[in-house]
Amino acid sequence: MQKPLHTLERRLLKTLSSKKEGTLEEVTKEAGLNLDQARRAVEWLKSKNMLAADIELIHTILLDTEGRRAVKEGLPERRLVKHLSEMGGETPLDDLKNQFRTTPQEFSAALGNARRRGWIVIQSVNGRPVAKTGKAEKTTSEEALLRRLSEGRVTLESLSSEDRLILSKLEKRPQYIKDKESKTTKIRLTPLGLETARTLGEDEELDALTPKLLVTGRWRESTLRSIDVEAPSPPIYPGKKHPVQRFIDEVREIFVALGFEEIDGPIIQPCFWNFDALFIPQDHPAREMQDTFYLAGVKTGKIDDEETLRNVSKVHEDGGDTGSTGWGYKWNPAKSKDTVLRTHTTAVTVKYLADFKPEETRVFSVGRVFRNEKVTFKNIAEFHQIEGIAVGEKVTLRDLMGLLSKFYSKLGLKRVKFWPTFFPYTEPSLQSVVYFEELNKWVELCGMGIFRPEVTLPVGVKNPVLAWGGGLERLVMLRHGITDIRDLYSNNLEWLRRIPLCR
Amino acid sequence: MPVITLYYDRLLSMLKQPLSRQDLIDNLPYLGLDLEEEAEDYVRVEFNPNRPDFSSEWGISRALNGLLGFEKGAPEYPVAKSNVTLKVDKSILEFRPFFVGAVVREVKFDDESIRQIMAMQDDLDNGIGRRRAKVSTGIHNLDAVEPPFEYKAAPPDFRFTPLGYGGEMSMKQVLSEVETGQKYGHIVEPFPAYPLITDKNGSVLSFPPIINGETTKVSTETSNLFIDITSTNMKSAEDVLAVLLTALSDLGGRLESMEVQYPTFTKTTPDLTASKMDVEPSFINSLLGLNLSPSEIEEHLERSRITAKTTRDTIEVYVPRYRSDILHPVDIVEEVAIGYNIANLTPTLPETADVGRLNSKLEALDSARDVLIGLGLIEVMNFSLISRDTIQKTTGAEPQEHLKVENPKTGEHEYLRDSLIPSLLTTLSKNIHEEYPQRICEVGKVFNRDKTEPREIKEEHRAAVVIAHTKANFTEAKSYLASFLSQLNGLSCSTKPADDAIYISGRAAEVETEGRTIGKIGEVAPAVLEAFSLRVPVSAFELSLEGI
Repeated sequence: MQKPLHTLERRLLKTLSSKKEGTLEEVTKEAGLNLDQARRAVEWLKSKNMLAADIELIHTILLDTEGRRAVKEGLPERRLVKHLSEMGGETPLDDLKNQFRTTPQEFSAALGNARRRGWIVIQSVNGRPVAKTGKAEKTTSEEALLRRLSEGRVTLESLSSEDRLILSKLEKRPQYIKDKESKTTKIRLTPLGLETARTLGEDEELDALTPKLLVTGRWRESTLRSIDVEAPSPPIYPGKKHPVQRFIDEVREIFVALGFEEIDGPIIQPCFWNFDALFIPQDHPAREMQDTFYLAGVKTGKIDDEETLRNVSKVHEDGGDTGSTGWGYKWNPAKSKDTVLRTHTTAVTVKYLADFKPEETRVFSVGRVFRNEKVTFKNIAEFHQIEGIAVGEKVTLRDLMGLLSKFYSKLGLKRVKFWPTFFPYTEPSLQSVVYFEELNKWVELCGMGIFRPEVTLPVGVKNPVLAWGGGLERLVMLRHGITDIRDLYSNNLEWLRRIPLCR
Repeated sequence: MPVITLYYDRLLSMLKQPLSRQDLIDNLPYLGLDLEEEAEDYVRVEFNPNRPDFSSEWGISRALNGLLGFEKGAPEYPVAKSNVTLKVDKSILEFRPFFVGAVVREVKFDDESIRQIMAMQDDLDNGIGRRRAKVSTGIHNLDAVEPPFEYKAAPPDFRFTPLGYGGEMSMKQVLSEVETGQKYGHIVEPFPAYPLITDKNGSVLSFPPIINGETTKVSTETSNLFIDITSTNMKSAEDVLAVLLTALSDLGGRLESMEVQYPTFTKTTPDLTASKMDVEPSFINSLLGLNLSPSEIEEHLERSRITAKTTRDTIEVYVPRYRSDILHPVDIVEEVAIGYNIANLTPTLPETADVGRLNSKLEALDSARDVLIGLGLIEVMNFSLISRDTIQKTTGAEPQEHLKVENPKTGEHEYLRDSLIPSLLTTLSKNIHEEYPQRICEVGKVFNRDKTEPREIKEEHRAAVVIAHTKANFTEAKSYLASFLSQLNGLSCSTKPADDAIYISGRAAEVETEGRTIGKIGEVAPAVLEAFSLRVPVSAFELSLEGI
């Protein structure tokens, strides 16, 4: 069955049926379309075998630098003879040569041409060659062609054979002529196209149902033309959450399902909560400016919690009454007041523990954290951390392994193993390693452990605190098959518009 | 984190029983070593900074022998007495006051063991030593010098021949001309006089923490060593000495102590006595979720190379001196877990009666996002840290009130944003080749100094929308604004004329709701659009979500 024709196609067919053939530009103009519409109609008609398009090469002849000069100032021979007239019409050849300012090559070419045409004759007077003006100079065919070329577009294809001969003379002159090759599309109807065009008829079908047709009831006397239901439609984009935010929400949902309550806290933290309360000694390399963003010129006022402050200071120095040896140095309260962009959400967690001193609880957070890193395909300076803690009298390291395994399994990650590792504020500490089917490899994800007594006792928490945490972005990248972490935050609209909600 | 190269054949030969290469590789992670690279004849592993004893193959083979049950309990490190002494002159006490040291005899070095000891020294200097500021180590050919030694402060123009250099130079010159001088010179530069260790005849052993003298250079021919450690912290110095000596002893050296004569007291170093810690079995079992008998606990600790004895209900644990990471009984719990082998621990799930829930404030942000997305906007996420350039493009001025971070590694992350609009304009600017209209939104935090208490910083959640297309204007933005507020909270709002640098004068307003000003709306000024290379009009609004 023949496909229905679009209005654009009908208009093109009609125009071509009388004209038979033409360039795309001509036909477009005649059909009253714009070039974009015509191109679409051409493609559709081609696919229906109603139209053939041939691409032709066109050579446009253009003037080069010397050619343009000749149009403005005349051919060199023309200028030479004019110069001779100005010198009185007769002068020794050497004088003419010296006064006509040009290169020797151009002079001899100009003189040669002028003599050939008889514009200048050379006679010998007293044994010296003398130039004299000859017969009157008419416009030459070369000059006429030059002028034509300067006045409008001339194609090689449109030149007569005589003109081509003249062109070849001009081409011998250096830098007079250049040509540009371009393509033009010629379209013509195929026999099928011609026949279709003939049967189009005058009675135009209706393009669309209008309120007027409905109100007047005239739709009864008209037919709505069929449309190409297979034709593509313009894209439409819905509002959408950012893929990272969507993943964050998924993680939050999993935590809630596991019985965790969400907490939130400031990004800007005193070193006290970000480092000191977590038993990270004040000379620890992680606290250095080259790893951590310190806020210039901002000191936190006093830490309100005097008791915690005292306990933390003691635990660093000699362990206080936690049963620890401590780090054995003099703790400096001023250093704890420096302000940083939190390097982990654990700063918020430990503040929460100090504020509520829970005996039993499960809380979590997903928040932005900062590291003074060079931005590369695998590192960014600002990213998200997932963190969960479970406090209870009877919680154990094996429970922590169980909770984290459950967390992973809800993300679709079923194979997990654990290795010992080290974090300054947990003991024992474990590293979780997760198997990714698609990559066929084990990937290190969340770190975990039981908060050290040097962390929990000074903030007034007696029971063990199980904790795990890790970067969120790595999980998002693995989910979406992204290999450059920067792509997550480049906010490329094409990507954001295209990326599907479900895998 | 530090990385160490381990050659399979050397490491396997140090194990007390045969082991396949694959079993070796598979077991390394269970010591807390992270595989970095597996090559034909070696493996590279990353070790954690709490285990400086893992900075050599001797330390790792010691632990592996335990983990695999080939050799258990704490290794013995006998120390004989030597007659070597060192005097600490009071001139050095205000700069780098602590010295500990030892003598190691009859060491047999080969190229690889020298390389490993040097690498280990570097790791110790960098780690516990805090890049030599706190502790630095020196290893010397004892036979090239003559005790007694002296540790003192010397004038910067004192001259000697530094290790690896053909001639003498002044200590001042060392700091500017020698590589380690340039790198670590900042540690001693503030001092009027520099640390120096010399022998009986004035020969220079070391200019700590910068460089050794050429005289005591160590080679494969060297067999008797003198170890010098200078420090600002006695405990850390002894920690480092213990790690270094145990490795040198495992390598075959005989350890000898020395006498360090401080102005007011005398100290014999090293002191490698194990420290005793009492740990309750119930404490161990309750944290691990196991039910181990005291003798099982002893067995697992022995596998972690720690000697343990049960007396009644308590386990007496003797922590070897080189395990300076053990501060608290909880560290013993981890040693039990490692000796038990983490691979044998099975996960369990704790009971809970509680139900989880989301944070109500963050839930409000979720709702704001839902409304914006329902309005057809695409959410973007930008960084909180922005560049000076972005601020300049938006405001036409240098950053003034913005909070700045110190020494950012890139200018892209220098200032905390005080508005979401600059990042959103950047987003539009990066997407000029994408299809218009573009309507995008962001919900996120901005940072401001508190107007009344400048020491306080306000973190505020905001929502912002930008609309870009050929006909974008104030009215369209206002439609989105009004719809957003009414759909989110049933609030109506009014817009009062108020100019702002980023908006066209006369086409900008403050947004008021319930008598409060909560944000701004307007058509972005052409100069701003031009700065961001935008070629279509943009209208925008930004609202505080605090209290909405």
